[in-house]
Amino acid sequence: MGMNVPDDLRYSADHEWAKLEDGRVRVGITDYAQDALGDIVYVQVPELGSRVEKRETFSEVESTKSVSDIYAPVSGTITEVNSELADSPERLNEDPYGEGWIAVIQLENASQLDDLLDAEAYRELTSG
Amino acid sequence: MVPFGGWEMPLSYPGGTLAEHRACRTDAAVFDVSHLGTVRVSGAGALEALQRALTNDLQRIEPGRAQYTHLLDLDGSVLDDIIIWWLQPELFHIMPNASNTQRVVTALQGTGTAGPTSAVDITDQRAVLAIQGPRARERLEPVTAAAASVGRFQVASFEFDGVPCTAAGTGYTGEDGVECAVPSTVAGRFWEAVLEAGVEPAGLGARDTLRLEAGLPLHGHELGPGITPLNARLGWVISWDKGDFTGREALERQQSRGVDPVLKGIAVQGRRPPRAGQDVLENHTRVGTVSSGNYSPTLGHGIALAFLEPGVATGDRVEIDARGLLLDGQVVELPFVKRR
Repeated sequence: MGMNVPDDLRYSADHEWAKLEDGRVRVGITDYAQDALGDIVYVQVPELGSRVEKRETFSEVESTKSVSDIYAPVSGTITEVNSELADSPERLNEDPYGEGWIAVIQLENASQLDDLLDAEAYRELTSG
Repeated sequence: MVPFGGWEMPLSYPGGTLAEHRACRTDAAVFDVSHLGTVRVSGAGALEALQRALTNDLQRIEPGRAQYTHLLDLDGSVLDDIIIWWLQPELFHIMPNASNTQRVVTALQGTGTAGPTSAVDITDQRAVLAIQGPRARERLEPVTAAAASVGRFQVASFEFDGVPCTAAGTGYTGEDGVECAVPSTVAGRFWEAVLEAGVEPAGLGARDTLRLEAGLPLHGHELGPGITPLNARLGWVISWDKGDFTGREALERQQSRGVDPVLKGIAVQGRRPPRAGQDVLENHTRVGTVSSGNYSPTLGHGIALAFLEPGVATGDRVEIDARGLLLDGQVVELPFVKRR
């Protein structure tokens, strides 16, 4: 099945997406990830103002199947969290790149974005 | 598709687990449960062999009826939980869990009854489809009226495409419904006919959330090594007055000693699903372990089955340690969701 991989986003090998917005990075999980997880019933969003470390767990997503750690694609401070997810975790399934965003991180080191995959590389990663 | 006891099973169909769950609670869903084994037990000694091997008393029912029962180890552990379809006075179809079929055949051969008994694994000759939900019978009616009208825990034969099949008023969802055993040759056509009748196909994921809401045990979680029917609060499957059966002595010893732990239900606040293996705490002290847990689509919050110390009572406030986060919960009566 063809998964949606928008060209304007960067991706981690752990299936998070990152979108640069004026020095901040909006983060969520990819279409591929939400499809693999199945129906999502709970999202633990990070605490506002907390500091997250690149490649460390900053959120947890529970589906009817299992619990999965979500890793921060970059290091920084959480400036926004998607509080809608508390009552509507299914947004991650329905609109993973839009209303299903999880948090916004104030980027500390812009070069960390370069470590992420571009759309083409992520497509290749998930096509096997 | 996921491997399950040697079978390839769909976790969900394209509609997804939650939609399948809702279909079963509000309308009708069909599950391919062919992975349940079928052992054909027949002969003049069949009834006696089953009476000695299994916990429930077949004299409580009669041919044309179904019964839920347990196969125990000598120490009282539940080796398997089984549905029996009693077809004719000397003919039974025994339905164990996926991986336990051979164990059941062996147990029946070892009872040493006087009359001849034959136990043959016929699992690969048939498919079993469970059509479940408040509108299951109505939807099934145009496909096969005979199967659609079989009573609760009754067994009846019906024909599909001119081929003899068997139906029983049994299931594993907490809803009314019918389970149909059809020969493999017509299984694909029967499945298509059921879908065309407007029944939603449902996978293992929905089967698990449905049975959990109904408080029904799953072998490997609520039943298994070290767990007796008394631990799982399924004492009603034990017939104390039918004579000897495998595991009876161990159960008597357990009963006089006191049953510990016991299976209880826990409703948690919030959507986060408790998971098997998580600790249950009362007043900051560990009092048990979750055996199954998930999000309840019907109730909108997390639910868990847990083995708890016998002192923990219904209504008690407890906490479940979900990866370091404590979920507030309350011990509740089962089932979590009652049939409407």
